[in-house]
Amino acid sequence: MTHRQVADDGALDFADLFETAPCGYLLADADGRLIRVNRTFSGWIGQDPAVLQGQRVSDLLTVPGKIFYETHFAPTLRMRGRLDEVALDFVGADGRKIPALVNGIERRNENGAVIQIRFAVFMAAERRGYERGLLEARDKAEAAIVSERADSELREQFIAVLGHDLRNPLASITSGIRILEKEGLSERGRKVTALMSGSVVRAVALIDNVLDFARGRLGGGITIACDLDEPLEPVLRQVVSEMRSISPEQEIATRYALEEPVACDHMRIGQLLSNLLGNALTHGAKDQPVRVDASTAHGELVIAVSNGGAPIAPAALERLFQPFFRGHDRVRQGLGLGLHIASEIARAHGGTLVARSDAVATTFIFTMPLGGITDRMD
Amino acid sequence: MSNHHPVTAVLVVEDEPLVRMHGIDILKDAGFDVFEAADADEALLILGDGTEVHLLFSGVDMPGSMDGLQLAHLVHERWPHIHLLLTSGHHKLRDTEMPDAGKFVRKPWTSEALVRQVREFV
Repeated sequence: MTHRQVADDGALDFADLFETAPCGYLLADADGRLIRVNRTFSGWIGQDPAVLQGQRVSDLLTVPGKIFYETHFAPTLRMRGRLDEVALDFVGADGRKIPALVNGIERRNENGAVIQIRFAVFMAAERRGYERGLLEARDKAEAAIVSERADSELREQFIAVLGHDLRNPLASITSGIRILEKEGLSERGRKVTALMSGSVVRAVALIDNVLDFARGRLGGGITIACDLDEPLEPVLRQVVSEMRSISPEQEIATRYALEEPVACDHMRIGQLLSNLLGNALTHGAKDQPVRVDASTAHGELVIAVSNGGAPIAPAALERLFQPFFRGHDRVRQGLGLGLHIASEIARAHGGTLVARSDAVATTFIFTMPLGGITDRMD
Repeated sequence: MSNHHPVTAVLVVEDEPLVRMHGIDILKDAGFDVFEAADADEALLILGDGTEVHLLFSGVDMPGSMDGLQLAHLVHERWPHIHLLLTSGHHKLRDTEMPDAGKFVRKPWTSEALVRQVREFV
């Protein structure tokens, strides 16, 4: 280390260093009355140093600054002997606020009595402005979160109401169809009501999927309610019969071997089967039957839906469960939400949905533990 | 006591006219006497007239001064002998949410399921 600067100390003008230092110096007595301030500080304040002399430090501060000084700064300084980087606002002679950071240190005699308090004052307009900006930004962000939450609640309500208002007229149409069917219709009339039924089923399925998707995007996710008291098979049969009404010309072969109760949400599993069947009927070969196989074995529920036709390419197979995915030949109908929602329903039940495809058949296999959601709710 | 009266008269409360007609058709075909109301207020007028009703069959979501669940609670309070059967396509009610011995059937009902539920009340 070289000490050339130190060696020149003798030439330093300490009085000038005090007066024109790049920070304000305040010297006060034990009571906090100013004994002396430097020119840098008196320049900032816009007061003659002689006028400042005898004033209390706290008299130079804004009202909140004064309170903070008296209740916090002074007592802490007394306790610790020093305090650094305290943000205080001084008031200039023209009433202007001067944001500053203040370091304070007590000078004590050999008996421990305070003989002088020394303050270094740093202009901090920019830094304090920055800090204030940060605080404001935080407040704004918090306000934005609150309003975002309110928005999403509103959207959730909107979706619920929309779903309700869309389903009600469809329920009316279904009832109307049932009433007409008992009126002794002609062959043609029966065909029309059957097709109308199918259209309603499609519309209901689409509404369910869109609402579930919207809810999922809002963070609500798929909600499930466990039904253990009623058997699952009639629910699945009902779905198959509805899908037959949509595609009366296509064969759906079924096999049910549901020996054990399954802790699942019946409406949801019905929706899952409906989505898988809808997919198979739309994309499978029309001249081959669609097969549904539902069974319980080895502590699991397995529902497999398969169709014939050209196999799905491995690359497409991976993306089948993404929302809005509709491979190359998948432009005819639908939003591409059915398989996505089906996989979400599987997940909500602690199960899996996988797809396999080869030259013989394309098969979707849903598997879930029989304990299903009751296990998960523990 | 009146609690054991077999159900022969049903009051159907449903705001969608076609759904109401369908329900009435099913219950009439099964041999029940059926009264109808489009909302809770109409239902209370019918019951207030002293009409003999053994079962209230009501939708849950209804416009008007109260929904089906509130109606069920009120009916249970004023006419405790009347059995309760609620229906909805959106809410699945648990038995604990309903007044004593009330039942729930999910929409859309098939005629078999609905008639079976109604016959279960003795």
